[in-house]
Amino acid sequence: MTLGDPDSRNGGRAAAAMAVLAGLALACTVAPLMADGSVIRRHDADPVVAALLDGRGSLSFALLAGLLGAALGLGWAIAASALGQRAERRMMDAANRLLALPLILLVPLAAGLAGGGVGLLAATVAAATAPAVAALAHAELRALMRREFLTAARAAGLSEGTILRRHLIPNARRPLLAAGALALPRALAAESFASLLGLGLPAPVGSWGGSVGLAARLGDGLALAPPALLLAVALWGLCAFAEGLRR
Amino acid sequence: MISRPVPPPVETNALTLLSGDRVLIDRATLAVGAGEVLAVTGGAGAGKSLLLRALAGLPLPGIDQTGSARVDGRRLLIAQGGMLAPRRPLTMQAAEIVGHHLGLDTSASLRRMADALDRLGVPAAARRFDLPPDRLPDGLRWTALFALALAVGPAVLLADAPGAGLDPTVRLRLLHRLADWARGNAVALILAGRPEDGVAGPASRVLALRRGRLLPAPPPLPSPVLVPRTGGTGAPLLSGRGVSVSFALGRTAKGAERRLTAVHETDIDLAEGETVALLGETGSGKAMLARALAHLPAPSGGRVSWMGRDLAAADATGMRRVRRDLQILFPDPAASLDPVQTVGAQLAGILESLRPDIPADRRARRIADALEEAGLRAEIAPRWPATLSAVEAARVGLARALLPEPRALVCDEPAATLSAGERAMFRDDLLGLRDRRRLALLLATEQAGEGLRHADRGLVLLMGRVVESAGAGALLHGARHPLTRAMLAAARGEAPQLDGEAPSALAAPDGCPLRPRCPNARSFCSQAVPALEEIAPGHHVACHYWDTP
Repeated sequence: MTLGDPDSRNGGRAAAAMAVLAGLALACTVAPLMADGSVIRRHDADPVVAALLDGRGSLSFALLAGLLGAALGLGWAIAASALGQRAERRMMDAANRLLALPLILLVPLAAGLAGGGVGLLAATVAAATAPAVAALAHAELRALMRREFLTAARAAGLSEGTILRRHLIPNARRPLLAAGALALPRALAAESFASLLGLGLPAPVGSWGGSVGLAARLGDGLALAPPALLLAVALWGLCAFAEGLRR
Repeated sequence: MISRPVPPPVETNALTLLSGDRVLIDRATLAVGAGEVLAVTGGAGAGKSLLLRALAGLPLPGIDQTGSARVDGRRLLIAQGGMLAPRRPLTMQAAEIVGHHLGLDTSASLRRMADALDRLGVPAAARRFDLPPDRLPDGLRWTALFALALAVGPAVLLADAPGAGLDPTVRLRLLHRLADWARGNAVALILAGRPEDGVAGPASRVLALRRGRLLPAPPPLPSPVLVPRTGGTGAPLLSGRGVSVSFALGRTAKGAERRLTAVHETDIDLAEGETVALLGETGSGKAMLARALAHLPAPSGGRVSWMGRDLAAADATGMRRVRRDLQILFPDPAASLDPVQTVGAQLAGILESLRPDIPADRRARRIADALEEAGLRAEIAPRWPATLSAVEAARVGLARALLPEPRALVCDEPAATLSAGERAMFRDDLLGLRDRRRLALLLATEQAGEGLRHADRGLVLLMGRVVESAGAGALLHGARHPLTRAMLAAARGEAPQLDGEAPSALAAPDGCPLRPRCPNARSFCSQAVPALEEIAPGHHVACHYWDTP
């Protein structure tokens, strides 16, 4: 039942992913201490330290936009489930239609048209990740609503409010968390993609995607490898974490 | 002329299968002659599949084999689950398999396959060869699989859990046809399955696998003499009038509402202390009706009343009073427990809701009593549902139903998840409880024989309509409706006189829904749905030709 469930391989992977992510976040946080305490200028620094410095921007943005996207998607799914059959069908049709579009292109497009800004970027990334979260969360909620133990609770004469409080919410917590966690790797990928094109996080904030893009333009293989590698590790970690929560 | 004895095509001598040090099959000795049908029964994990695989020459990796096993001639194994490649059209698979075994070209292979389908009684119209197997109804998929085996024409056919998951009526019909073919063509046929699967019915000899030993099966216990039960007196506790269940399917292009009707207007009564069996095949609506009577959820039409009070008009408090007296047993007891609460916490919540008269400090005592009554120890209360075995889950379900001290139980295929032995014990306990506490039982089940033996009355459902209702004895010995007769024949292991599978509720035939399968069908049957008429006191039948033998 817990994250470190020994009998489930997925649980073990989620724990490993959590450890990797925690290590990555810690390394990014203490990276300024590694840069000799002097003024941090990324292009002078050791490429690994520079990539770790970039990680602060990428990871914190992914967290911000991912949480926003998760909240939006979960709100969408819960509203759809609560509003009755017709609204539910309309809202989830919309989510599934949006899911088929390459929404990730929206991020550099909005940044290019409206000219950058962390707020705008976070909003578009959240909007781009929300439909996937909504679709998954809604599927989980629907499956939960059909479970037999809810019928058993009704047979015990419990009121709908009590069933919601005592059975529905405790059972929905984990699948909804897992659906929400799906937004984190998506947000990181969307931001990195936009930054790669030079339309992502604004200049003072470093980002892995931006560094990869810059190094590729300069043809500097040594500078390209660390951010690309860290980005890959972070994406794997976030995906494995979300998967592990789903079990 | 000296007739030399022909050695039987299947013969094993002290066949032993080992996995490391564990003996899985211990010195199995059997011989199956040509044209003989042998049934091998055993519970889950008894080693039936292992034995069959060893005979088919397909032992599982890691299994050591000692002793001798000799199988002569072409052998064919129908593996558990009856798998065909799910997405390739049946035609291609048939051509490939038959062609591979017999070296025939495509058209000759398909001709053989068509002949085999004829022998199994599949009408030409139902042969949907170009569909992939996963688009076929289950019964037709199994028939196609058997037809493939027939088309190949092996000398030895091994069938592992044949027709598992099909309705008993459909399964027994198919098994009998397969057995008839084997006898007619001198094929040695081995049918393996659980005792409750009815593989013993068409077989001439039955061996049972128990604890690794293969021994002659004990003769079936003589069915207990029917003791007329004295229950079922007085005014009905639970009564349904015109109860119907239907679902909205959206709208047609013209804006008319489409509905799928699972249960048509049905009247049903359950008196104090009475046991009523609700029989029917899969999809007949018996579970829907049972649940509608318990208002889980409320029926779409008609009226259900408990001791004369209309349930639809009851407020929350009144409904709780009724639920206290009317409890339900679910078909999958493990799924009916909340996975994130311990057993004890769930039972306490129910007690708090349904029996507010029991003070909080006495609840633990009542829970322990109910668990004990259901055959469990009170130590089970702090456990999580995921740690319960199937038997324990079923008994927790029973304890939960007994907790508020009800007067009636609605049982929807109770203990369907248990194996035969466990189920028999569970059923005996349930019946014991019924007699001790004078419980009224509504028993929805597809096991006609078993259901009726313990009931006072039976109702047979077909596509949401009652087609026969009578006292249990009258139904057991004098059933008039072809469906009831088929279900009882299947329960006895005989071949039911019905063809094919129950049609889908979405494409119900005109007139009598049994018409396409019925041996007595005439042209008039397609014109009107037969109405329920009384043919003897208390015996109702809905069939145009019930008096035709």
